[in-house]
This record gives sequence, C-alpha cells and structure tokens, in this order.
Amino acid sequence: MKAFAAYHPIVLFFYYIAVLIFAMITMHPVLLAASTAGAVLLFICMYARRPKVIAKNLLYYLFLFLLLSAVNPLFSHDGERILFFMNGNAVTLEAIIYGAAIALLMISVMFWCKCYNEVMTSDKFLYLFGKAIPKLSLILSMALRFLPLFKSQIGKIHQAQKTMGLYTGDSFVEKIRSSFRVFGAILTWSLENAVDTADSMKARGYGMKGRTNFSVFTFRLRDGILLAVILALSGFLAVGIRGGAFWFQYYPYIAGAYTGNLQIFYDIAAFLLMMLPAAIEVKENVKWKLLKSKI
Amino acid sequence: MNTVKKAIRILLLLGGIPLLILLGATAWNDRRYQLVTMGIAVLSVIPFFLTFERREANTRKLVLVAVLTAISVAGRFIFGPVPFFKPVTAVTILTAIYFGPEAGFLTGSFSAVVSNMFFGQGPWTPFQMFSWGMIGFLAGVLNHRGWMKQRPMLLTYGVLSGIMYSFVMDVWTVLNYDGSFGTAGYLAALASAVPVTAVYCVSNVVFLLALEKPVGERLMRMKKKYGI
Repeated sequence: MKAFAAYHPIVLFFYYIAVLIFAMITMHPVLLAASTAGAVLLFICMYARRPKVIAKNLLYYLFLFLLLSAVNPLFSHDGERILFFMNGNAVTLEAIIYGAAIALLMISVMFWCKCYNEVMTSDKFLYLFGKAIPKLSLILSMALRFLPLFKSQIGKIHQAQKTMGLYTGDSFVEKIRSSFRVFGAILTWSLENAVDTADSMKARGYGMKGRTNFSVFTFRLRDGILLAVILALSGFLAVGIRGGAFWFQYYPYIAGAYTGNLQIFYDIAAFLLMMLPAAIEVKENVKWKLLKSKI
Repeated sequence: MNTVKKAIRILLLLGGIPLLILLGATAWNDRRYQLVTMGIAVLSVIPFFLTFERREANTRKLVLVAVLTAISVAGRFIFGPVPFFKPVTAVTILTAIYFGPEAGFLTGSFSAVVSNMFFGQGPWTPFQMFSWGMIGFLAGVLNHRGWMKQRPMLLTYGVLSGIMYSFVMDVWTVLNYDGSFGTAGYLAALASAVPVTAVYCVSNVVFLLALEKPVGERLMRMKKKYGI
C-alpha cells in the first residue's frame, strides 16, 4: 500500500524536512520514541506484502541497536552512576543509556530514509526542483534515463561482438578484455549520442523563455489539509522546543525537565506528527478492506 | 559579472557556514552537530550549483556531464559486489581533467545523488556530494597547466583523493556514531578506516590506470571534434 506516497510531492517534501529536523534536533526520549515508532511503522506498512524484507531489516537494526548501546560505554566514561569497572575504566549507566538513545536516533533516521526512497521517487523530486534548478534537474533526469539505455546498448554491443566471433574464450583474461572493449564502444557511442541529443534539444528550443513542463501532479483539497496539519504540528513543536519542552540531558547525570501543563500536549503533537504517514496507510488499508468486504 | 558571481560564491561560503555554526552553538545547546554539519555540507555544494545554474546554457556540456555521471554510476553498479572498489572517483577526475573543474564537480556530486537513488539516500549523501565534487573540482584546478595529464601526478592525485574521501566521510562516521565531534573519536574512526581507505586508494589507481587511455582519448576527441 502506498496511500501516503499518493499525496502531492510538495506535501511529502515538507513532511520529510520537518520530520528529519525534529528527529535530529533534540535527543529527548519522547521525540526519539515517536520518530522511531513512526518510521518503523511506516516501513512495515509499505512493505506489508514482503514480510521477509521487514523481518530482515528489523533483525539487522535490532542487532545494530544492541551493538551501539554496548559500544558507547567503552568509549565514554562520563556519568555519575558507575555500574562496574572494566580494565580500570568506569562503565556508567548514563553512557549505556546515551548509547541507546544515539542508536535509536540513527535507526529512526535510517528507516525514514528507507521510506523516503520509496515515497519520493525521482519523478517527484524532478517535479519539485525542475523549476528552481532547471539545468541541474535536467542533468539528473538525463543521467537517470541513460542508465537503462546503457544497459540495453551494452547487451547489443556484446551480442554484436559475439556474432563477429570476438572474445569467445572462457578464460578470465578474455572476459576482462571483452568487457573493456564493450566499455570503450559504449563510451564512444554514448558521448556521440549525447552531442546529438544536445543539438536536437537546442534545435527544439531548449532553454528558451515561456516553455512549460508536463506534470501529473495536482494539488487537491486533501493535500492542502495534510499540509496545514503538518505545518500546524511543526509550528507547535517548534514553540515547544524553543520553550525547552524537549530539553534533555544525559551527562553527567540524566535530567529531563518536566515543563508544566503543556508538556503532555507537546508529547502528543510529536507522536501525531511522526505517526501521520503510518496512520494514513492504516486508514486507507482498513477502508480498502471494508469496501472489499461489501462486494 | 564574473566578479559579482565570485563575490556571491565567497559570501555564501564565508558567511553562510559560520552563521550556521553560530546558530548551532547558540540556538540549541544540545550540541546537535549532525544537523549543523549536514547543513554545512549542503551549503558548500550550493555555490557551485548556483554559478552553473546562472550561466548561459551550454547544452552540449550539460548533456556530457549527464552521460559521464551515468557512466560512473553504471561503474558503481558493475563493481557492486566488490566493497569500496568503485570507479566513480577515477571517472570524476578524468572528467575534470578534460572538461574543467566545474564539470568535474558536477559529475562527482551528481554521481553521489544518482547512485544513492539506487543504493539508498541518507544523511551521508551531502557528504558524498561534497567529497566527490571537491575531488573533481580540485583535479580540474590542478590541471591548470596540464599537470594532471602526467601519469605520476595523476596517480598521486588518485591516492590523495582516496585519502581525502575517507577524511571527509569519517566526519560523518564520527557524528553518526555518537552525535558529537571530538578529535579522539575522529582519529579512532580514521584509524579503523585504514583498510577501507587503502581500498579506495588502490581502486582509484587501478581505475585511473585502466581508464586513463580509453576514456582520456575519447574525451579528447569529443573536445576536438565538437569544441566543447
């Protein structure tokens, strides 16, 4: 299911900026927990049909989490509560907890990035930046297009050389020589092809004023609503961070200020913001199941 | 006009980065170095992109950079199973030698963005963009008098750029590791990355030796034939 990815690229982009900033700006446990939970849930929703991928990733990052939490106390000996001594160095509770927090931060960012790759596909990226940086996004889209083109062309050249009876030997050296020959051919071909492309583009008026681009994305009401929700939550959280609601200290002793009545609302806002995409995925999934059951 | 652009570039670099560091130090005392350094990596890439974006369009050069980017990304694919042994740096250096520092920078940093679209984007992308871009840019600058076309110079630069890449990327390793940056941690990361750095250097030299003639000749031919 990719209900979240169906939203307008601008909304998705804003969401990712907000989430990455809030995930990395403080080390407050509530924000860390919200960010990790949101990222992992979204990942699970997106790969719901491939349980093996989910299991593999979760296991790998669980291992990484344990490893990082165990390694931090070996390097860092700050902290007040000493658990035991190893090789004459203190292993402190604070260092272990800080290691776990760092590991959580890293894992949540990893999962956000994994989901980012699924959600912000290159066409959306190009749509967003096509107007602001036209030349650079043109290079990007051309490079992306050349990759499959090269692949098919490499196959063609390889077959042509085979029919000519070149490099049919099975030895390793023969194979290397053959691939170098193919590489040389593909290089010449692609460079010549590039100049042809460039001339053709110029002849059709590339870079002239008043040209418009085709795009498949339309900004609908639901995009506006989601964007408003994201901006409102981010603004509220930013106010909270400014007011010290997400202040947290690990060294030399653990201290997190519980700042007044609003704290619970800030915590809720953090969870709401981080859980938005996963919630959208779940909602659409439930809706789909319901509609299907009515048939 | 050129001086204005240069001034903007220098202002962005000289003004933007300290401002970001200052902001990071004062706005939140939590020492969130990760965001600040990521911002610095992004900011140091932007001036190059902006100057390129503002200049009159040379469509041929533009498409050429796209092709060379695609080639280096394809190289990263082909050598996918061999860890850290990648031709991206070599292609970037050769591009810079024949088409100048700007083309080198663009090819290097775009190779990072495009290949990460397949290998996975992450907080390391800006750092890769910066280090590969800088390797290309410096190669182009050093080639001012055709120095880089001499084989000993080229190979030395290949080794140096492997070390440089490792130095920049280890900044990210350290930050990612415990969220703060200390000399001791950085040195430890550099020391533990020595085998990887060695592979970078060896792969750069191997690919430069292997590609110098075939790629160089063809790029030279393009330059002569089409006057790019």
